[in-house]
Amino acid sequence: MSLSIVKNFDFEKGLWNIQLNGEVDVYTAGQLKETFISLLEEKKESIKIDASELEYIDSTGLGVLIGILKRLKQDNKNIIIINIKPSIKKLLNITGLDKIFVIEG
Amino acid sequence: MNTMNKIAKEYTNMSIKKDHIKLSIPNRPEYVSVIRLTVAAIANRMGFDIEKIEDFKVAIAEACTNAITHGKHLKDDNFNIEFIVEDEKLTIYVQDNGKGYSAEKLESPDLNNLREGGLGVFIIKSLMDEVDIVSELGRGTTIKMSKYLGDDFQ
Repeated sequence: MSLSIVKNFDFEKGLWNIQLNGEVDVYTAGQLKETFISLLEEKKESIKIDASELEYIDSTGLGVLIGILKRLKQDNKNIIIINIKPSIKKLLNITGLDKIFVIEG
Repeated sequence: MNTMNKIAKEYTNMSIKKDHIKLSIPNRPEYVSVIRLTVAAIANRMGFDIEKIEDFKVAIAEACTNAITHGKHLKDDNFNIEFIVEDEKLTIYVQDNGKGYSAEKLESPDLNNLREGGLGVFIIKSLMDEVDIVSELGRGTTIKMSKYLGDDFQ
């Protein structure tokens, strides 16, 4: 399984809605990074990630999210993650990243 | 499992059969998902629950990512994975012939100073029951990790 990324900008709330479908690993993390960087070049606004169809992520994907969050924090913007599967939530807990990203739902 | 039981068990293990599975994998990122499916199949056959199977998938992917990114960067080279299947325990060796690194450089993540890399080994140690990393500069790295079937070993 690979990774597909659905993106659209919510003008009402002023943030990006991103849906991640599939797996983020060392093979697909580059695709995720490129997508996020192009989003921020278009509009540097907070990113809300719907993770309901995200089956797998590891340190390679988390590293991308950390890098993007650093850029957003310069402008006081955030990464919000919603609908996380339990296995991924566990990973965020053990790495402490649940305190760095905004986790909802 | 208390210490006495563990010693007794390791003693009897000398006569217990261990199944070995060996794989040689190209040093390329697209194969890491194949390894995840492989470890999931092995752990599932052994009777691990879904949560532990997910732990194996993440831990082995982290080790493979290390082997590929810290390895030789030769895409036509391979690295090795060995699974040792016992009644109550799955042990995995991920071995590359890459550059190796100094084990002292491995740290826990510092949340006030997050870097984009360096989480992998920390994640492996968090998810597995036993982890042993042998790395020598210039001679490659072997990551050994084990997890027990029962909940009594933590």
